[in-house]
Amino acid sequence: MRRVGIIAAGESKFGARVGMEYEELFVEAFLEAMGQVDNLESKDIQEAFVGSLAFGGSQLGNMSALVVDSVNLIGIPASRVENACGSSGYALRYAIMSIASGINDIVIAGGVEKMQDISKATRLYWFGVAGDIKWERLSGMTFPGNYALMATRHMKEFGTKKEALSSVAVKNHDFASRNPKAQFQRKITLEQAMNAPIVAYPLNIYDCCPITDGASCVILCDLEIAKKYTDTPIEIVGFGAGTDHLALYQRESITRIDAAVKASKMAFKMANLQPKDIEVAEVHDCFTIAEILAYEDIGFCKKGDGGKMILDGETTIHGRIPVNTGGGLKAKGHPIGATGTAQIYEIFKQLRGEHENQVHDATIGLTHNVGGTGSACTVTILRRV
Amino acid sequence: MAHVSIPKYWKALPQKYRLVAGKCSNCGELNFPPTTLCKKCGQENTQKHIELKGKGTVYTYTIIGRGGAPPEFAKMQKKCGPYAIAIVELEEGLKINVQLTDCDPFKDVNIGMKVSAVFRRIYEQENVIRYGLKFRPIIE
Ligand SMILES: [Zn+2]
Repeated sequence: MRRVGIIAAGESKFGARVGMEYEELFVEAFLEAMGQVDNLESKDIQEAFVGSLAFGGSQLGNMSALVVDSVNLIGIPASRVENACGSSGYALRYAIMSIASGINDIVIAGGVEKMQDISKATRLYWFGVAGDIKWERLSGMTFPGNYALMATRHMKEFGTKKEALSSVAVKNHDFASRNPKAQFQRKITLEQAMNAPIVAYPLNIYDCCPITDGASCVILCDLEIAKKYTDTPIEIVGFGAGTDHLALYQRESITRIDAAVKASKMAFKMANLQPKDIEVAEVHDCFTIAEILAYEDIGFCKKGDGGKMILDGETTIHGRIPVNTGGGLKAKGHPIGATGTAQIYEIFKQLRGEHENQVHDATIGLTHNVGGTGSACTVTILRRV
Repeated sequence: MAHVSIPKYWKALPQKYRLVAGKCSNCGELNFPPTTLCKKCGQENTQKHIELKGKGTVYTYTIIGRGGAPPEFAKMQKKCGPYAIAIVELEEGLKINVQLTDCDPFKDVNIGMKVSAVFRRIYEQENVIRYGLKFRPIIE
């Protein structure tokens, strides 16, 4: 297996990008990435892997052709990768594998989603498409509702407090307040976060990620060849992935995301590292409870101690392991199919020492990207070379 | 709307009306809904159909706030307000995802509450009223 590095990473501004199309958002991300490598030309890129749910359905089929056309790469192999909110994490996986295997030398992996400019009813419909349609949806279940089921049970089993959930939102809004690309560039107080209107009890509006337009794009390269383009490539030293039952009620545990546990183990084993070696992480906080589950599933703390970990401040900038320094899905935003590689964007900047919320001298980082309510997950470990 | 076509809904009526599960004659596992391959031992076509009793306890729950219901439940929520959804652990040992009814979601529902199935209207789609099971508290 060849060693694989990231030589550039770009991201569009996240938020309500009224009037912007999928492909226009992707161009923004692509151009930022290309601008970081002086001597790389479009013709050097050999394949594209694009994550998207195609939210709203306006370009559900053959989206990859639309995307590569927008960045003048037409002709190269390209495909849309779909695993709901975990789409671009999986797009990245296939991009890495295509280089590691020797088939490609330089490829792009990215994602795009357009969620605004859509009627509320259409949006509510699309939020449900990645769940179990035949059974969960027939009970009137919603996407936040499923994570709420996990939260209620976690609170019962481990005494996790509502304050812990709200503290995740406060921390991530704080990080986002210094990120010029974030959807919400403002801090919130714990009191605000605790007392907002209920979406799906025990989750309120501040426990939920927003509706976001956005795109992200990273350029991957064989690590030997990468020297030609940059002195500071970031190596992908471990990557894992897993799946689980689509329906929450069929899973072995409601308070653990097994797909994430499997993906983490696979990535740590490949990297020959342990959770304690990670210095900065971006985890999938689509809902505040999801960040707490991520701490436990990755192994940053013991099962059941996730609530304590956030309350003790261990994941703030001064903590043992700062998490979601870009603002997370909660405050930076969650353009579904773009999120996985948007997390890579943050860690790439951290490991090159270029981040707005820089973790001092970080050399090893991790991303954790979850699809649906935990039916798919990828975990990626990156290291400064 | 969550598009569950009429033929697809019809195919699952034994589950939606009577909680028909597949008991594996090879390993004893209960599969709900019945599957071609047993979820536990992987054997093909070994499942005998049995009816679950429709009684159990709330394992975890949520309450869907006003305005948060999927489109097909929006009418019901406008009329009745927030509603509770639970994962119920049935007496037979397996779990299912159901809507709770005949209770005040904020006052009555808690983990461990005993519930039983009741036949109800679920929603209307493609001009057909879909019926199925909801669960309500057992008053002792
Ligand atoms: Zn069996």
